[in-house]
Amino acid sequence: MKLLSLLVLFFSSSVRASGGYNFFTNASEMTQVPAHTIALIFGSLVFLVVGLVYRLNVSSITNAVVPDKGISIRNIVESLGQMMMNTAKSVMGEESAKRYFSYVIFVFCFILVNNVMGVFPGSMSPNQNLNTTLALGIFTFIYFNFQGIRAVGFITYMKHFAGPMPALAILIFPIEIISISVRPLSLALRLRGNMDGDHLILGIFSELVPYIVPIPFYAMGIFVGFLQAFVFTLLTMIYIGMATAHHDHDEHAAHH
Amino acid sequence: MDTNSWVVLSASIAFSSAVFGGTLAQGKAASVALEGIARNPAAADKLQTPMILALALIESLVLFGFGIAFLILQKFAVVAAVAH
Repeated sequence: MKLLSLLVLFFSSSVRASGGYNFFTNASEMTQVPAHTIALIFGSLVFLVVGLVYRLNVSSITNAVVPDKGISIRNIVESLGQMMMNTAKSVMGEESAKRYFSYVIFVFCFILVNNVMGVFPGSMSPNQNLNTTLALGIFTFIYFNFQGIRAVGFITYMKHFAGPMPALAILIFPIEIISISVRPLSLALRLRGNMDGDHLILGIFSELVPYIVPIPFYAMGIFVGFLQAFVFTLLTMIYIGMATAHHDHDEHAAHH
Repeated sequence: MDTNSWVVLSASIAFSSAVFGGTLAQGKAASVALEGIARNPAAADKLQTPMILALALIESLVLFGFGIAFLILQKFAVVAAVAH
């Protein structure tokens, strides 16, 4: 029965996707709220419900080490969390990974839920709009600067930008400031471009051939959504790791 | 050719040239990473993350081209509205 409903979902044409017409634009015409905002509220609700179901599952379990049988929400959430924890440990190191994991996993899960929403026919991903992704990018920007200042202090944090040689600091400082200020914009544009491009391709192909042919593009949509959430999170982790790194003079002396 | 045709032509040239450069760069990155994995299969896990990162950074430049092509096409809409 589940398989049948999935097949019906895949074979039903989502011809309207390319015209930019879906549930959320329909709702936004009625309520005068932008479509991506409604989609984001819907995605946040899904995110909250999954989180609550996971919490309920975990609280009723006696032995937390034994996983559930088959594919359950608990198994999916825990395998994603495990994967991100391993990546965070390899990128930021053991201690930083534990300290900054709450933000990293929030960004990953939130973007993943919102990206995968775009695959369902008649739906859209809120990440197709630059406003949503730029908000996420700016949050990351504020977070890694704040954590960097908290970890090493304001003066040392500013010294990171000046480079290793005092004579060249006046040249390197502006370049570093520009390259760091551009980070939220490049994160936002990458996520938005990928999700929008993917949805556009899906729409164009389901308009060309409504049946069967778009199936690989649904698969690609899920894959790209996962990959872009991973890339956004990976870059967030790298930025946090770079901002909170301790560049002590003892360390330099030890290398020489 | 009128202005609208030039606008559409420039948008498609902008995006296709961005895609051309991006595919060349991504092909090189992927081929080198695969070569590394083929020489040392045990390093596959360690190579995967930097490879995905490099691919994403290359792809973001292509997507900037996509965005610029969109901006050009919006100019097309403005030109069309003025022509009416």
